[in-house]
Amino acid sequence: MTKYNVDLTNCDKEPIHIPGRIQSHGFLIAADAFDLAILYVSENVDFYLGKSSSDLLKMDALEFNVFFGSVANDTDLHQLLKLAKNQENFSIINPYKLLIKEEPYYLILHESHGKIIMEFEPATLEYDIQNLIGKSISEILSNKTLSGLLNHAAKEIKDIIEYDRIMVYQFLDDGHGEVVAEVKNDDLEPFFGLHYPASDIPQQARALYKLNYTRIIADVNAASAAIETYAKDMPLDLSHSSLRAVSPIHIQYLKNMGVESSFSISLISKGELWGLIACHNYSPKFIDYKAREGAKLIGQILSSALEYKQAEEETQEDFLLKEAVQELSGQLDKDSDLISSLIRHDVTLLDVTHGSGAGIFFDGHMYTIGVTPDEAALTDLFAWLKETMTESVYHTNQLPKILKSAQDYASVGSGILACTLSRDMGEYIVWFKSEKIAAINWAGNPEKPVEVNSANETVLSPRNSFDTWAEIVNETSDKWRELEISGVLKLREKIVSKINKKANEIRVLNERLKLAYEELDTFSYTISHDLRTPLTSIKSYTELFLHQNQSLDEKGKKLLGRVVAGADKMAFLINEILKLARVGRSDLQPVEIDMTNLVRELITEVVSALSAPQVKIVIGNCPPVMGDLTLITQVFTNLISNAIKYSSRSNLPEVCIDGQVDNEEVIYKIKDNGIGIDVNYHDKVFELFKRMENVKDFQGTGVGLAIVKRIVEKHNGRIWFESELGVGTTFYVAFKNK
Amino acid sequence: MGSPDIFYVEDDQDFAFILEHAVREVKEDLVLSVVEDGRDAIKTLEKYALDKFRPKLILLDLNLPGLSGLDLLKRIKEIPFLRLTPVILFSTSDDPLDVKASYEFGANAYITKPTGYNNLVDCVRSLHEFWFTQNRSVN
Repeated sequence: MTKYNVDLTNCDKEPIHIPGRIQSHGFLIAADAFDLAILYVSENVDFYLGKSSSDLLKMDALEFNVFFGSVANDTDLHQLLKLAKNQENFSIINPYKLLIKEEPYYLILHESHGKIIMEFEPATLEYDIQNLIGKSISEILSNKTLSGLLNHAAKEIKDIIEYDRIMVYQFLDDGHGEVVAEVKNDDLEPFFGLHYPASDIPQQARALYKLNYTRIIADVNAASAAIETYAKDMPLDLSHSSLRAVSPIHIQYLKNMGVESSFSISLISKGELWGLIACHNYSPKFIDYKAREGAKLIGQILSSALEYKQAEEETQEDFLLKEAVQELSGQLDKDSDLISSLIRHDVTLLDVTHGSGAGIFFDGHMYTIGVTPDEAALTDLFAWLKETMTESVYHTNQLPKILKSAQDYASVGSGILACTLSRDMGEYIVWFKSEKIAAINWAGNPEKPVEVNSANETVLSPRNSFDTWAEIVNETSDKWRELEISGVLKLREKIVSKINKKANEIRVLNERLKLAYEELDTFSYTISHDLRTPLTSIKSYTELFLHQNQSLDEKGKKLLGRVVAGADKMAFLINEILKLARVGRSDLQPVEIDMTNLVRELITEVVSALSAPQVKIVIGNCPPVMGDLTLITQVFTNLISNAIKYSSRSNLPEVCIDGQVDNEEVIYKIKDNGIGIDVNYHDKVFELFKRMENVKDFQGTGVGLAIVKRIVEKHNGRIWFESELGVGTTFYVAFKNK
Repeated sequence: MGSPDIFYVEDDQDFAFILEHAVREVKEDLVLSVVEDGRDAIKTLEKYALDKFRPKLILLDLNLPGLSGLDLLKRIKEIPFLRLTPVILFSTSDDPLDVKASYEFGANAYITKPTGYNNLVDCVRSLHEFWFTQNRSVN
């Protein structure tokens, strides 16, 4: 037969389904399924049948009956095999009880790659186990919680098969296992809560646990029996064999633990190996086929209960999360304020995940709810997300290991689940999960079984030490569950559509506003234009009347004079409004304006118009300005004439005009030492028809600066001022360079 | 029928009325002819040209129904006989764009209508002074 050199370097690749050996508490014969010629025989048949394996290999299965005494009728192996073949199913036969040398044995049959494998093992159970199992199962299923279910299962199994220690061992996400339930003899040290590294149960072993729901290792110290065959190049596949010999690595592992025999039952949930019920005994122990089948049944029932219970516990949790998403979506529809709908109602962002806090950056503001890092840390985190996050959702449960600055707030924010609202605007919602400082108690150093040999290969070795080895896991939060992430994605979709809807509404309003503005400009233009004509008539007729009626008395002349003065005042106002309306209507024709000339000409004109030759004018730099000549002229006419007008009555009046080029702007400043502007009026300066308390004695309409502001804004420029009452005012006006 | 001294196109009867008084105030015997509509104006002017009548001064309101003052200006400047007759745009508008366009179309002056009778009299007096007394060579 083929020999496999299994050493500690290839345990993970060890072909454990074809060990070429069996455990020696039973014996094995395999025959060709077609002609029933004996092809494989375990070497220990001698011990059980008193005939050497080489003798048996010459035989036909038909000749076997001589070995068997029957319990009931005469055993006809040939008939049995034929029956099994016809039925294509061995389960109706298994186990077949027979007598060898007056001792009861079970024959267990299965087919493997065209061979019928016959395994013989002692039948030891003297009573009917069925009743016991039925009672146990109803006991187990009466439990409401998952942990209660597992503990009772362990207890019932211990009562039935009486091993020293029964553990329920659960495989966690990363493959390592944890003892989640345990029932043991009082003198044994507890393993409950201990973790076992993933390498303790290699992949191919897990595959076999899924194939065979039970596995017995009767005695780790018993020598295994080789399988003899002439077909040495065709090793017998023992995947489904219950006698299959145990990997020497695993034997060593059990020996190191002090265990002399073991029995395990697979727990399957949703088609995957959920865990094992591991039964350890500290002396050799064998339980017969029927006891094993009973345990297997309990395992299967526990598996489906497990699936159901787990689903039930998840469903309850899922339901709450889903309901919160639903509720928030409703609030988003009802409450027009986005932030309010997310954090100011009974159901908030906090209910959508299991996080303990959330932060939102939206529309230039930071909002938080629950426990979060401070605002500075949030700002830093959001900037980092803007830089690195490309998907709509990002999550980690170990943020401090990725973002160094997050170490400062590891206690509240080791886990984050972030979703993008707008990457351009750096707008995100982030949920936080706090740090879970978890101490994991390993059964021995988890790094130990993986060693590196001299050839630099990774080596699996069975651990010698199972002393508790504690590992502290920090800067880590609970994981983000699939449902939390999908809920956040759903919510995000809703929020983004709400934001878009709002943006669209604003765009439409903006268009309407623009239109209204244009209409208003046209309206003011037309109305003032049309008003001028009758106004002129009023004035003209009044003057003509006065002219042609020189005999009118003084009182009459004075009254008609008032009519003329009123018409003049009204005409002036109309003109100002016309100018303002014209700014809105005119198309800009930007040119480069020679400001030196413009300012000089303006000053001459304004000084003479205001008859203020006493005002000293200082002209500094006059860099050119890009703009519409007519409109820019209007700006400077207004600002300079204001400066001259309001300083004309000061002692040593002085007006300075100076321009500077600063990066992208040309900034002009027009400074006077005039009457100044009261602080209380600072925000009214540019409003239409607003005139200050202290300018009553000066002529003006309150339209000038409103026009100036509109012109400057139309040029995408800026205008502002500094002023002190009785000291003077400085106006600044900035135009874009390009 | 002889040609007027001043040919005035104006749809605002009030303003035309006031101007008539102002013109008489300045010089009793100045002849002012007022036409209210642009099309009538161009017909009249074309007839003048045929009859070799030449007004000494043409005043045009800018905003006229039908043909605008600017259209009228263009048409006048296309009549060779009237090419050298001074045309003055006379408007309530002081919009710089109107002013610019008027000069481009060949106006000899652009005057914003003065408000009030007294101002108008001053204005007409100054016009008369310049175009009828000092600038005699044109006519």
